[in-house]
Parts: sequence; structure tokens; C-alpha cells
Amino acid sequence: MKRPSVFSGRRENVEIKMTPMIDVVFLLLVFFVWTASFQVVENILPGRLSEVTGSEPTPVDQVPPPEEDFDHVVIRIRWVVGAPKWQVNDAEMPTLVALRERLSAISSIKSDAPVILHPDAEVPLGHVIDAFDSARVAGFEQVQFAATPSI
Amino acid sequence: MRLPVSVGRAQAEFNMTPMIDVVFLLIIFFLVSSHLAKQEVHLDLPLPAAVTGEKRVDDQAPRLTINVAPQGRLLLAGRRVQPDELRQRFQQQLDRDGPDVEVVIRGDRTVPYGQVEPVMLACAEAGIWNVTFSVVHPQDAQQ
Repeated sequence: MKRPSVFSGRRENVEIKMTPMIDVVFLLLVFFVWTASFQVVENILPGRLSEVTGSEPTPVDQVPPPEEDFDHVVIRIRWVVGAPKWQVNDAEMPTLVALRERLSAISSIKSDAPVILHPDAEVPLGHVIDAFDSARVAGFEQVQFAATPSI
Repeated sequence: MRLPVSVGRAQAEFNMTPMIDVVFLLIIFFLVSSHLAKQEVHLDLPLPAAVTGEKRVDDQAPRLTINVAPQGRLLLAGRRVQPDELRQRFQQQLDRDGPDVEVVIRGDRTVPYGQVEPVMLACAEAGIWNVTFSVVHPQDAQQ
């Protein structure tokens, strides 16, 4: 009988088994791909509500946050022939750039005046948020939404 | 000459590879299941873009998130709700968590404001004045 040589046994020990390594590598790959976040980071725009008209008396326990005695800056957003039209205190703003310039001008005089957004029902939310964002970019601290009380 | 027998010892060796495999599979299972649970709350919507958006502070403040999907579908906690139900739901939340309740509106940027207004109106009627909008940075909105 021929005895297996010492060298052949040693060679067998050195052999690398690839299957478990591939298993683990694939698992690690799946682990890291899954844990990597591909979601877009969401931010928030803080807003407050304000009543447009005082047709209904507000209950005492539901008083809106107190407003200072400033003139309001009312931004009306209308939807005309598939495009938004802006008004700042009844003055027409043809473009969003003009709206931003006007808001910046007002803000340089009185940045603590409350801004009230009053969009039409047809205006897409994206355009409403554009106006909201413009007011904040101009430096207004209080931006509120007008909500018509239901009867 | 007698040869040393080392076969028995080799069989008793502890093979770690299958155990690592199973442990990793369990980790991935739990990660995936928790990830899916999060996605259920966050409906994939094209949110409006804003430069001045602030980072959300993950505090323990009571918060209600409302998704306004296309065609004005309102989703609260993954369930569709009618605008009339909102006031009652908000009132319940106020009674439970106090006046610091925040309502987060996650609205599709193409949805008309008229479909978002009932949510805000319900907030005002229930006495919730802290209403925030979920937005993304303009760079992310273009992707």
C-alpha cells in the first residue's frame, strides 16, 4: 500500500473553499445596499392658520394665535388660463420674480408684518408653496394661511 | 509503524460559516421588514420644492401626518379619510395629546389648493394652529 505523501496532504489543507466566502460576500452586499438610504430628504415649512373673515364668532378656547397690530401683507394667488397670477395687497405681480422683489422691498421696511397667503382653490399646491417660500426668503417671520370658516 | 489518526478531531471542528449565513439572513430580514413598515407611512409623492425648508426635529411632539395624493385622496395613517372625518380625528388627537399637536401636510405638488384647504380648515376648526408642509429641496425635486 502506498502511503499518501506529506506534501499532498498539506496541499489539500491550503485549498480555499470559495462557496461560503461568496455566500458571505453576497449577504454583505445585500445588507449594505439595503441599508443605504436612497430616499430624498424631506424638510418642513412651518405655517400658521388665520381666519379670513369674522363671520362666525370664534369660541374662546379656539382663539387663533394673537397677531400684532401691523398691516397685513396679503398675497392672493389666482389661477388664470392655466397659470398662476399673484397679487400683493391688490397690486398685480406678473411673475414670481416680481413677487419676490416686491416682498423683499416690503420686508426691508417691515419684516415683522404678518404675511397671509390666500390662494384660489384651483391653484396647484406647488405654486402656493412657491409664494410661501418667497415670503420666507424675503425675510418675513410670520407666514399664515387664510382659511375661510365653514358655515 | 502506526500512523497517527487525526480524522476524529477534524470532524469535531466547529464550522462558523453556516451560522454567520443564518445570522446575516436574520439581520437582513429584520431590516427589510422595518424598512417596509416605514415606507407604509411615507407615501411616495412628488412634494413641492422650497429653499427655506427646515430640517425636521425628531422630537417626541405629537404629530399627525396627512398625505394628499392626486385626485385629492386624503390618507391618514395609511387609511383613506373623508374631509368631514378630519375635524373629529383632530379633536380626538387634541384631547389625547394636548394643544401642542402638529399637523404635517404631505401634498402632491400638482394637487389643487382647494383639496388641501379642507385639511387646514379642519385644523382651524379643531383648534390646531401648528400646521406644516413637507417639502423637498429644489435640487431633489428636479430628480
